[in-house]
Amino acid sequence: MIEYSRNLRSALPTSRLTLFLIAGLISLIADSAPFSCVKVRAQAAAESATPPAKRAPLRVIRDRYSALSSVAVDLERNEVVGTDENLFQIVVYERLADTPRTAAMTEPKRVIGGLKTRIEFQCGVYIDPASGDIYSVNNDTVDKLVIFSRQAKGDVPPDRFLETPHGTFGIAVDEEKEELFLTVQHDNAVVVYRKTASGKDAPIRLLQGGRTGLADPHGIAIDTKNRLMFVANHGSVHSKMADPRLEGISSLQIKANWPLNEGAPGSGRILPPSITVYPLDASGDAIPLRVIQGPKAQLNWPAGLAVDPERGELYVANDMSDAVLVFRETDGGDAAPLRALRGPKTGIKNPTGVFLDKKNGELWIASFGNHTLTVYPPTAQGDTAPLRAIRSAPSEAPSLMIGNPGAVAYDQKREEILVPN
Amino acid sequence: MAHPQIAAFARSAEGNARATRKIEGQGTLLCRTMHAIAYDEIHDEIVVPQPFGQAVLTFRGSARGEEAPIRVIQGPKTRLQNTAVLTLDAVNNELFVVERDGVLVFPREGNGDIAPRRILNPGVDLSAGGGIAVDPVHDLLILTGSEPGANRGEAGSAAGRDGLLVYNRTDQGKVRPRAFIGGPKSGITNITRVQVYPPRGWIIANISGQLGELASEGAFVGVWSITDKGDVPPRWTIGGPKGTLKKPRGLALDPKNKTLIVSDKRLNAVLTFAFPEIF
Repeated sequence: MIEYSRNLRSALPTSRLTLFLIAGLISLIADSAPFSCVKVRAQAAAESATPPAKRAPLRVIRDRYSALSSVAVDLERNEVVGTDENLFQIVVYERLADTPRTAAMTEPKRVIGGLKTRIEFQCGVYIDPASGDIYSVNNDTVDKLVIFSRQAKGDVPPDRFLETPHGTFGIAVDEEKEELFLTVQHDNAVVVYRKTASGKDAPIRLLQGGRTGLADPHGIAIDTKNRLMFVANHGSVHSKMADPRLEGISSLQIKANWPLNEGAPGSGRILPPSITVYPLDASGDAIPLRVIQGPKAQLNWPAGLAVDPERGELYVANDMSDAVLVFRETDGGDAAPLRALRGPKTGIKNPTGVFLDKKNGELWIASFGNHTLTVYPPTAQGDTAPLRAIRSAPSEAPSLMIGNPGAVAYDQKREEILVPN
Repeated sequence: MAHPQIAAFARSAEGNARATRKIEGQGTLLCRTMHAIAYDEIHDEIVVPQPFGQAVLTFRGSARGEEAPIRVIQGPKTRLQNTAVLTLDAVNNELFVVERDGVLVFPREGNGDIAPRRILNPGVDLSAGGGIAVDPVHDLLILTGSEPGANRGEAGSAAGRDGLLVYNRTDQGKVRPRAFIGGPKSGITNITRVQVYPPRGWIIANISGQLGELASEGAFVGVWSITDKGDVPPRWTIGGPKGTLKKPRGLALDPKNKTLIVSDKRLNAVLTFAFPEIF
């Protein structure tokens, strides 16, 4: 209000002609002045002389580079695929690519991106081992799973799409049963589709309810050998109920196994993070077999998951501790991780994606916080340097991690722009 | 999106500028989908919605890292449901939260499981959560929605955000708005957020184009007066139509430097425009 009053006194109408003359005068001074601040003012004045509708922004805060949120390897074709949540692209690299320290970045061999692709804010990726098809999970703004053939390149429509609930994050596929699993953040649910589903096809199973322990679910991994499903939860949850606006609508018009998506007022809770473990075919309001949760577990916004059934190990991309935590598949309660991959040499920063390449014996990490995909031996622990690293930006370029900035505020006291995701 | 956070950037930041600080991590209680943020200059606090936990979180203005909120409004008495859009009236010490059926008003210092002190039921579906702003100088509350009784579109659709509704700040219960601004001449198709500049009586709104478009040539920021009514064109537009903006979302004003700050979903960016005309 202090600022408002000050501006109220000074906010006298100014004609565009006057602004134009002032802008010209300042520009002349700025050209001969060594002070950049004068040039900035000149730029502002010049922009002010342009009609607002055509006015270019003075400044744009934007990460110009691919920010990689998830990763998967095409084992047959030796390619590694990342989802770029910042520029809305799928980027494909040679599996053995390794960005030299002196190089600005590695250019992807193939990019899928553009308005026709219907990609935005994708957080999960799966590669069909037989066909090489790329399944990309749109986490926000586009309620579709988009599937591209291996030949897809550039701004092309998906070869197939599947309408999904809003807020899908993680993906896993049971190839033997041809079932596709997706976590749903907004509805605290897991939906299971036939792998070949498309368009408006309904899920074949739904896991949702107060007893499931699902709470802002993120990554998902399945163990088809031991018939288990693992889900990483950030912890926020509220009860769901039928949407009252659907009252009177025939049940035939409501999709089967679709999550309840209407929040019960005042039922919200913010729980500690967890890994919940279920039978692979769990459905309904099933209670988890066990839950990893507690201070010893060190979970802090756990995101992507991968599982190694042979070793009986579960890998967790633990976003906020810049680490990959490894648990036993059989762990529950306040279990400490078996080992952790963490430290400055690892190059891991805000990891959100993890992929275990059993064929080549490699563990891949997508670090959303530093534009990199890094590779390690699966048993790596401590502060171990990666075997290889693919960087999508100059090493000194910070990853802004802006994601669907739905709001903005200005802190007048600190002269800062506040941007929530 | 993969990573919830509140990032702070210097006013003059551009390009790949490093954030000056971030609020992030389990201890912050944040989740994604914060469709609002309010900075309270008088009390030096930051307020955000937490939709998945149906909560409102208040942080110290200087909060950084994994810092816990100083207040949390959450619980059965609150009636919080979608909790994605809110605004703060720091002058009258009130917090306004948009829900499907109405606007819940809490005391600014509210904490824990508290009931709203009043509820406005505007008689339109607000579930799309377009925007809300309070003008404490003229005692007005601005909402986005369809004209009451017009029955445009399906509930929750963009058609439900095709106008600006002007109420008295302290209205409660079932009340008709003082004014509705919308119609073909207004260019309003889908409002995502609203701001006000009380000293000049401006309403500033993000027009985001048609629902379903990933990017829109019709996107712009429009400015109307609090005295406008009906189908009137904006006094100014900035960033479009057919301009820089593709899917504008957040709006903030910097009166000292006479700039308008806009976040854009498709550009995944924050843009600062010189806009001396409105200050």
